[in-house]
Amino acid sequence: MPVMRPDDVGLMVREGYPLKLDLPIEPRFREGDRVLTRNLNPHHHTRLPRYARAKLGTVVRDHGVYPFPDTNAHGEATPQHVYVVRFTAREIWGNSAAVTDTLCLDLWDDHLDPAPEGR
Amino acid sequence: MSAHPRAHADDDEQGRPANHGHHHAPPEDILVRVRALEALLVEKGLVDPAAMDVLIDAYEHRIGPHIGASVVARAWTDPDFKARLLKDANLALEELDVSRLQSEDMIVLENTPEVHHVIVCTLCSCYPWGVLGLPPNWYKSPPYRSRVVREPRKVLQEFGCDVAPETEVRVWDSTAELRYMVLPERPAGTEGMTRHELAALVTRDSMLGVSKVAAPIEAATA
Amino acid sequence: MNGVHDCGGMDGLGPIRRVSNEPVFAHDWERRTFALMLVANANSYWNIDESRHFIERLDAVHYLQSTYYEHWIHSMEAMLIEKGVITQQEVDAKIAAFSAKQGTQQCR
Repeated sequence: MPVMRPDDVGLMVREGYPLKLDLPIEPRFREGDRVLTRNLNPHHHTRLPRYARAKLGTVVRDHGVYPFPDTNAHGEATPQHVYVVRFTAREIWGNSAAVTDTLCLDLWDDHLDPAPEGR
Repeated sequence: MSAHPRAHADDDEQGRPANHGHHHAPPEDILVRVRALEALLVEKGLVDPAAMDVLIDAYEHRIGPHIGASVVARAWTDPDFKARLLKDANLALEELDVSRLQSEDMIVLENTPEVHHVIVCTLCSCYPWGVLGLPPNWYKSPPYRSRVVREPRKVLQEFGCDVAPETEVRVWDSTAELRYMVLPERPAGTEGMTRHELAALVTRDSMLGVSKVAAPIEAATA
Repeated sequence: MNGVHDCGGMDGLGPIRRVSNEPVFAHDWERRTFALMLVANANSYWNIDESRHFIERLDAVHYLQSTYYEHWIHSMEAMLIEKGVITQQEVDAKIAAFSAKQGTQQCR
C-alpha cells in the first residue's frame, strides 16, 4: 500500500492528477456545430446541470478526450470528447435575461445531440 | 425578483442559512469525527500526518492569489507571454512553475470592453487552485452558485463591478476538469508601473471576473 | 441526479456573504479534513467523479445547512467504508473513545 510521505506531497501539488486522455477517439462535433443538450434526469451522477438540459447551443472549442463523469462515478470511464458549448442567456433563462449575455459549459459527447435542422 | 434583504440577516459568515434554535457551527461531533477518522487511518498505516502538515502549509502559506496576480502582471507587460497564455495556458503557466493540482488543464480568459468573463462551478466548487489557492467560502456557497448563472449582472453589481450594458457578460460554469482564470483588464494610469507594482493591484476577485482591477488612485483610496 | 447540489438558477438560498481577509481555514478541523482527503487517497480508493457523487448523495437538508469541509468529512467517511478501507464499527468505536476522553475539548 503506497502511503504519501512528506517528500511525496510536492510532487502531487506540482503535477496534480491530469485526466486528459491521449486516445484516438473521433469527436462527434466540430467547432461551430449547433447542438441540443439531452434531457437527462438520471438518478446517478451527471455533470449536465438541470438548467442546461434540452437547450440549444454552439460548440466553440474541443478540449479533447476525458473520462465521462456520468459513468466514471460508477466504474466506467467511457472516454469521449469534452467541448465548450456556448448558450445565449435567453436560451437558458428566457427573455428576462440580457440579450447580450451568454453562458459556457463544458459538456461531453453523451450530453449532446445535433440540433434539429435550421435551429 | 429580489430576496428580502433582512430575511437572511443572521446567516453565518460561510453563507449557510441560520438555523434557529439549533445552531451548530461547527458542530461538536464534527471535531470528534475528523479526529477519529485521522487517528484510524494513521493507526492503519495509511496516512502519515507529517504529509498532511506539508500539504496544509502549502495551501495556507505558499499557494494563493499572489501567484495568479504575478501571472496577470506578466501578461500585462509581456505581449508574447500573454499570447502564449491565452493560446495554451498550461504551457505558459509551466514557465512560471505554477502547480497543477486542481489546475491540471487551465484556460485563461481575457476580459475586454467587449466581453466580461465570470467563473463559477454550480455543481460543486471547482476552482483553479494552482493560481488562486483554495476558494473563499462565498465562491463555494449555494447563494453564489445559484445566482451568478441566472442574474450575473445583479451579482456583479453587488460585488461593486459595473459592466456596461453593451458588454457581453459570459458566465463559465466549470462542469469538467478544465479550470478557468480571468485575465482582467489593465487599468488606466498604470503605464509606468513595474511588474511587481502591477501584481499588487490584482485581486483574487478580479481573476474570477466578479470585480475589475481598480486604477492605482482608486485602489489607494478604496 | 436532481439533487440540491445542482443549484444553478435556484431562488431562496440567501445572500452572498463575503468576508474580508477570510482565513484559508476557519478551524483546525477544516485543515485536517482538507489534507486527510488528499493524503488518504494516495491509494486512489476513489476517483474525482465518485467523490463528487458521494457529496451529492448527502441528505439534501444537511447539504444546505453544512459547510464545504463538513461535506468532505462525511463523504470521505462514507467512501472509506464503502471501499472497505475502514468499517463503520471502527469509526463508531473511535468516535466513542474520543468523545469519552475529550468531552467537549476541541480537536488539536
